[in-house]
Amino acid sequence: METTALLITMLSALVGSAVMARTFARLGYQPLNGFLLGALGGAFGAQIFSLPLNYCAFAPEQRAADVVLGLILVAVGVALVIVPMRWLAERWAKRREGALVAGQQSQGVFKGRLTPFLLLAPTLTILVLFLYYPFIDTFRLSTLLVGRGAAARSRFLCLQNFTDLLYDPQYHQSVVVTFVIAFAIVFVGIAISLLIATLAYQPIKGANVYRTLLVWPYAVSPVVAGVIFQLMFDPAAGVINYFTNSLFGVRLDWLKDGTLATIAVILTSVWKTVGFNILFYIAGLQNVPKDLQEAAAVDGANVVQRFFRITWPLLSPITFFLVITNLTYAFFEIFGTIDYLTAGGPLNATDVMIYRVYELQSQTIGLGRAAAESLVLFLVVIGLTVIQFRNERRVNYGA
Amino acid sequence: MLHTKKLLVMALAALAVLPSAAQDKIEIKFWHIFQDDNRLGWSRGVAEEFNKLYPQYNVTVEAFENYEVLLNATEQALEQGTAPAIVQYFEVATQRARDLGFFKPVQEALAGREEVLGIPVDFEDFIQPVVNYYTLDGQFTSMPWNSSTPILYTNTAFLEAAGLEKPPATWQELEAACEAVMALPNAPQFCITWPNHGWFFEQWLAQQNAEIVNNGNGRQARATEVLLTSENAINIASWWKSMYDRGYYYYSGKQRDWTATEQAIQTGQTAFIITSSADARNITEAAAANGINIVTTRMPFDEKYGWTGNIIGGASLWLVDGLDPAVEEGALAFLLFLNNTENAASWHQATGYLPIRQSSVELLESQGWFEQNPNFFTASDQINNSQVTSATSGGLFGTFVETRNLVTQAIEDLMLKGGDVAERMAAAKAEADKLLADYNSLFGE
Repeated sequence: METTALLITMLSALVGSAVMARTFARLGYQPLNGFLLGALGGAFGAQIFSLPLNYCAFAPEQRAADVVLGLILVAVGVALVIVPMRWLAERWAKRREGALVAGQQSQGVFKGRLTPFLLLAPTLTILVLFLYYPFIDTFRLSTLLVGRGAAARSRFLCLQNFTDLLYDPQYHQSVVVTFVIAFAIVFVGIAISLLIATLAYQPIKGANVYRTLLVWPYAVSPVVAGVIFQLMFDPAAGVINYFTNSLFGVRLDWLKDGTLATIAVILTSVWKTVGFNILFYIAGLQNVPKDLQEAAAVDGANVVQRFFRITWPLLSPITFFLVITNLTYAFFEIFGTIDYLTAGGPLNATDVMIYRVYELQSQTIGLGRAAAESLVLFLVVIGLTVIQFRNERRVNYGA
Repeated sequence: MLHTKKLLVMALAALAVLPSAAQDKIEIKFWHIFQDDNRLGWSRGVAEEFNKLYPQYNVTVEAFENYEVLLNATEQALEQGTAPAIVQYFEVATQRARDLGFFKPVQEALAGREEVLGIPVDFEDFIQPVVNYYTLDGQFTSMPWNSSTPILYTNTAFLEAAGLEKPPATWQELEAACEAVMALPNAPQFCITWPNHGWFFEQWLAQQNAEIVNNGNGRQARATEVLLTSENAINIASWWKSMYDRGYYYYSGKQRDWTATEQAIQTGQTAFIITSSADARNITEAAAANGINIVTTRMPFDEKYGWTGNIIGGASLWLVDGLDPAVEEGALAFLLFLNNTENAASWHQATGYLPIRQSSVELLESQGWFEQNPNFFTASDQINNSQVTSATSGGLFGTFVETRNLVTQAIEDLMLKGGDVAERMAAAKAEADKLLADYNSLFGE
C-alpha cells in the first residue's frame, strides 16, 4: 500500500513540476523554481482525495473501475492545485509588467483588507454551516455503507458506491429518463411560454388581468401540482380520461404506460414552470426597442422575420437565464411532482436521478449510496451549467 | 410617568414569576407523525387532560411529516441532549428501533410495577396480536398505539345487482363475485383494487401461516434470509397477477397509491377495495356523499391454505433511554394514560384504528357503538379471531422497509411486463437477501 502511495505521489509531483517549469520558463522566471513549486503542488494535490481514502482504491482486491476512478481523483486533485498555481503565476507576471497602471484604480475599493471580510462574514457563516459543511460531509458519506439515524454503525466501502453505478442497469435507465424529461421540460416550456408571452404582450383589453392569471401556476408548489395532476390523470376516476372517453371514446392508462407517464410528468412540470417563464418574457418583450421593429417593418421584413431577426436575439439574455433556471427545476425541484404523480413508476419509467436519491436515503442503509448518486447528479448539473456559460458568447446583451 | 413605572414593575414581576412557574413542571415531549387536525387534535386533547390530572407534568405533543423525518429529528435531539421522552415508529421499523439502541423497553422501565401514579399497567388487557407483535425477547418493548389491519370494503349496489347475498370471504368467492359483477350491464370499470404495496402481500402470507423471514420470522434469532420464494409467496404473487391479467384488479400504475384506489371505490369505479381499517371513516363517509353504500368484511383468504390470522399494521410508541428518572416516570404514566380503556376506545372512534384493549372493546360494545357503526367492527373481529403463530406475530428484520418496496416492484413488473412469477420473485429475494446481509454486517453481533 505504502509503495503505491509513494509511486502515485512521485508521479503527480513529476507532472506538476513539468507543467510549472514550462510555465515559469514561458513567463521568464527561473524554471527551477517552477519545477520545485510544481513538484510540491503536485505531490500535495495527489493527497486531496487519496489521503482521506487511505489510497483504498489501489488495494489489490479492487476492481479495475475502482482503480481507474482512484486515478481520476488523483488527477483532479493535482489539477485543483496546479491550475490555480499557474493562474497566479501568470497574474504575477502581468502585474509586474503593468505595475504602474495598477495603482490608479483605487476609487471605490476598500482600504483595509479586513473590512470586506467583516462585511461578508454573516453570509459566509450561513453558507459554511448550511451549505459547505453538508456538502463536504456528503463526500464522506458517499464512501460508507450507512443508514439514517445510525451514523455510529457504518462500514467503509471505498469508491464502491460510485463504481457500482457503472454496473447498475436501473441507474443507467434513470440517467436517460432524467435527461429526456429535463430537456423536454426546457424546450417545451420555453417554446410555449414565449408563444403565450408574445400573445399576452399584445395591447388587448384587460391584458393585466390575463398576465396576472398566467403567472398563477408558478405559485403552486410542485407537490400540490403533483396531487392535482394525479387526480386528473387517474385512469379510472380522473377528469382527463372522462373527457377523452366522452369525446373520442378512448381511455388512456396515463400512469400505467411508461411513455404516457413520462408525458404526464413533462406536462405537469411545464404547466408549473410556464408562469415563471412568461413573467420574464413579458418583461423582456417590453425592453425590445420599438424603433428597431418599425425600421425593419419599413425595410419590408414580415412578422416572422422580425421575430427571428430582432425579438429572439434581443430576448437571448432572458432565454439564457430561463434555460438555466428551468434545467435546475427539471433536475432537482421536479422531485415533489414525481413523488405525488408517479412515485417514479411505472416500471421506473419516471425514476429520475433526484427521486432515486430520495428513495435511497429513506432506506435503512442507503444513505451512502444516496450521497454518491447525489454527487454524480451535482456534477452533471454543474457540467450542463458550464456548457451553458460557454455558449453565453452567443447571448446578446444589447448595447 | 407614574403609570409607565407601574407597568414596568408589573412586567418585571411577571417575568420573574413566569419562568419559575414553568420550571416547577416536568417537561415530557411526545413526538408522532399525525399532522392532520383530527389525530393531532385528539392527542393534544389527551395530553391536556393528563396535564390537568397530574399538574406536576407538562406533556407537549409535536407532529412530524413522516417516520423518516421523525427518526432524523430524534437522533439529532439525542445528540444535543434535547431528546423527547416518547417517539413513534411504524411496525416494520421495530427491529431497526431495537438495533439503534436509543430506547428502553417499557417493561424494563416498569420494573415489575402494577401501576404508575395510580394508572394500572394491566398488560393482560391488551389484545393478543398487539402483545405478540411488540413482545421482543420476552419483554413488552414498545407501547402500541395506532394499530390497523386490512379489510374488504364492498359497494352493496353491485353486490345486490350481481345477486350475491354477502361479500366474498375467500379468493375463490371473490373471483366468482368478480365474474358476476363484471358481467353486469352497468358493470364498474374494474372489480376490485388495493394499493400495490408489500403490506397486502405480507398479510396474505400471515393468513396462510407463512413466515416472511427465517429464524422464526426473526423472533428466535436474527433473520438471515428473506423467504420470498416460498410456495406461499409464489402463490400470492401469482394470484395477484392473475387478478390483474383477467381485468379484475385495478392498478393505477403508481406504487403505494392509497389515494387513487380509495377514489376508485368512492366513485363507483370498482365494486370492492381491500385497504386499511384506519380508512373506515374516510371511505364510508366519502362514498355515502356519492350515494354509495359500503359494508366492510374480513380480508379474503385463499381456501387452499385456510385462514390462520392477520398481522396488525400501524405503529407503536418507544420510550427513549437515559431520561431523567422523574421524566421517565411521567412518560410511563402518560403512555399508560394514552392507552387506558376510555382513551383507547375514543381513539378508535376518532380514527378507525383498532381498540387495543379488551376492556375498550367491551366498553364500545356496551355503548352500542359497533351496532351503530358496523363498519368499525370488522377490524377488531378479524384481529381478535387470529391465531397466534410466529407468522401472524409479524416479521422482525432490519431491512423490512426496503424488502416491502422490492416486493411492490416485483408485483408491478409481473403485472405490467408479465413474465415468470417464480423467476421474478427469485430476483427480488436475491436483492432482499443482499440488503439484509449488508444490514446484519453493520448491526449483527
